[in-house]
Amino acid sequence: MVRGPRPDRLIAGGSGGRATVHRPRPDRLIAAVRRLGGRAMVHRPRPDRLIAAVRRFGGRGGDERTAAWLGIGLGVSFTVAFVTGLISHFMQHPPGWAVWPSRPVGLYRLTQGLHVIGGLATIPLLLAKLWTVYPKLWQWPPVRSAGHAIERALVFPLVAGALFQLVTGLFNIAYFYPFPFFFPAAHYWTAYIVYGALLIHVANQWAKVRGLWGGKDAGGPATRPMGPSRRGVLATVAGACGLVGLVTVGETFTPLGGLALLAPRRPGVGPQRLPVNKTAAAAGVTRDPAWRLAVTGDVTRELSLSLADLRAMPRHVVRLPIACVEGWSAEATWAGVRLRDVLYAAGVDADARVRVESLEARGRYRTSEVDPPHWHDELTLLALDLNGEPLSLDHGHPCRLIAPDRPGVLQTKWIARLVVHGP
Amino acid sequence: MRGRLVVYGLGAALIGVGGVGLLRDAADTRPAGWLVWFAGAALAHDLLLAPLLLAAAALTGRIPEPYRGPVRVSLVLAGSVSAVALPMVLGLGRRAGDPSRLPQAYGVHLAVVLGVIGLAGAVAAGAVRLRRGRSHRPR
Repeated sequence: MVRGPRPDRLIAGGSGGRATVHRPRPDRLIAAVRRLGGRAMVHRPRPDRLIAAVRRFGGRGGDERTAAWLGIGLGVSFTVAFVTGLISHFMQHPPGWAVWPSRPVGLYRLTQGLHVIGGLATIPLLLAKLWTVYPKLWQWPPVRSAGHAIERALVFPLVAGALFQLVTGLFNIAYFYPFPFFFPAAHYWTAYIVYGALLIHVANQWAKVRGLWGGKDAGGPATRPMGPSRRGVLATVAGACGLVGLVTVGETFTPLGGLALLAPRRPGVGPQRLPVNKTAAAAGVTRDPAWRLAVTGDVTRELSLSLADLRAMPRHVVRLPIACVEGWSAEATWAGVRLRDVLYAAGVDADARVRVESLEARGRYRTSEVDPPHWHDELTLLALDLNGEPLSLDHGHPCRLIAPDRPGVLQTKWIARLVVHGP
Repeated sequence: MRGRLVVYGLGAALIGVGGVGLLRDAADTRPAGWLVWFAGAALAHDLLLAPLLLAAAALTGRIPEPYRGPVRVSLVLAGSVSAVALPMVLGLGRRAGDPSRLPQAYGVHLAVVLGVIGLAGAVAAGAVRLRRGRSHRPR
């Protein structure tokens, strides 16, 4: 019988999974737990065979150190997802005190790519973590004290919320909506619950994370009485996360575009070599030869411009990405007039804000706000051409907004009016 | 200890923000439906997915030793990629009139990726066997 004395006690003390095989005297066990800094957990597992099966898979089920390493990975990935998610939310719903910069041009592209591709790559990581701690779900007795009951109760929103975020996020980028709620609202509020529960969990488990560096156990052969090495398990999980990222990241990171075999979008695929999120048919928009752009609100003189008027204005060509909230992004060459040229022609204050209104009759993204940093930016255009041709109807003909560092849903298509209002 | 209390407080506050937000934004979040998906995600994992993985564990446990590792690693990789690809393969999000949405042949692509994983697993198993054969050869 191979016996690494400390890891055995560590596992027995931590999860109870080993207690039937090797039952240390209570004082030794408590001492081991103390050394670890964790809470004393003296208990016996119930469905012994189930736990034995978890072990047999060799995924180091019940192994505290594997769980701690996976936990560190999840802590990092959920922090990245939370921060980038908040960035995306507040870009779309800016609080009064915050003004988003229009540079760097690809900032939103980067943060949202991290959010979505990082989220996809987290799926195997979360499942691996849940696998290693699964025996704890069946620990016996289920609760040992009021404190333990609270601790366990708070694991529920953590596990449920983490699964909820990854599942609904995956379904959302696949345009599959079997749930009754509006995805962005549910995903946004649930993020606070998950991250709050995660903070509490980290506070409770901090001693185990620190123990990764404090212990003498270097993960040598003594710690692997059965199954693969800890290093092997962690490498496999890392490989699974990396593989998921590799076959999807090309939908936003163009150099790997050819590998985006399982991504819901391909950067060059769509009318005029650019993907479309909402078609004109879905928006209820048709071609109107009598179309005019109205510039109104807090302006010195109201304007009503035809397409020919816009084409007669100084023409500028920019290369900017559409960076979708769903994580894909694609660069394109846009041509048209600068938004600031049109606004200056109408006469506006430098700190004015602009509401861009679409021809769409309805829909949450029918209008978008353009704040001073974006409308002053020379790259912000009322685009008329895309990749060398006039905009197709699905891309917003006759005129659409394109601005740097801005979510795709705010790059309003089929513009009908610019309404200038105060700061 | 004080640091831990601060983190507990912060965590509880965030949970509170999320809970209150879900209820105040009820027209969009549909709290009853949300709860079904929230609790359902955990129950589906704990009572369906985890037992399935246990069954896979028991089954692959019968594979003789030099091959068990490569098979299990291949299965973990294949399972992960398949889980992520499933909504795309099913294609339930496709819409008529928007061919740029889910534009790829996901079933074929998934088969290719799984084939590559299988091939790599076979090569790894072969390499393990070769090495083992060598080390067992009498001098």
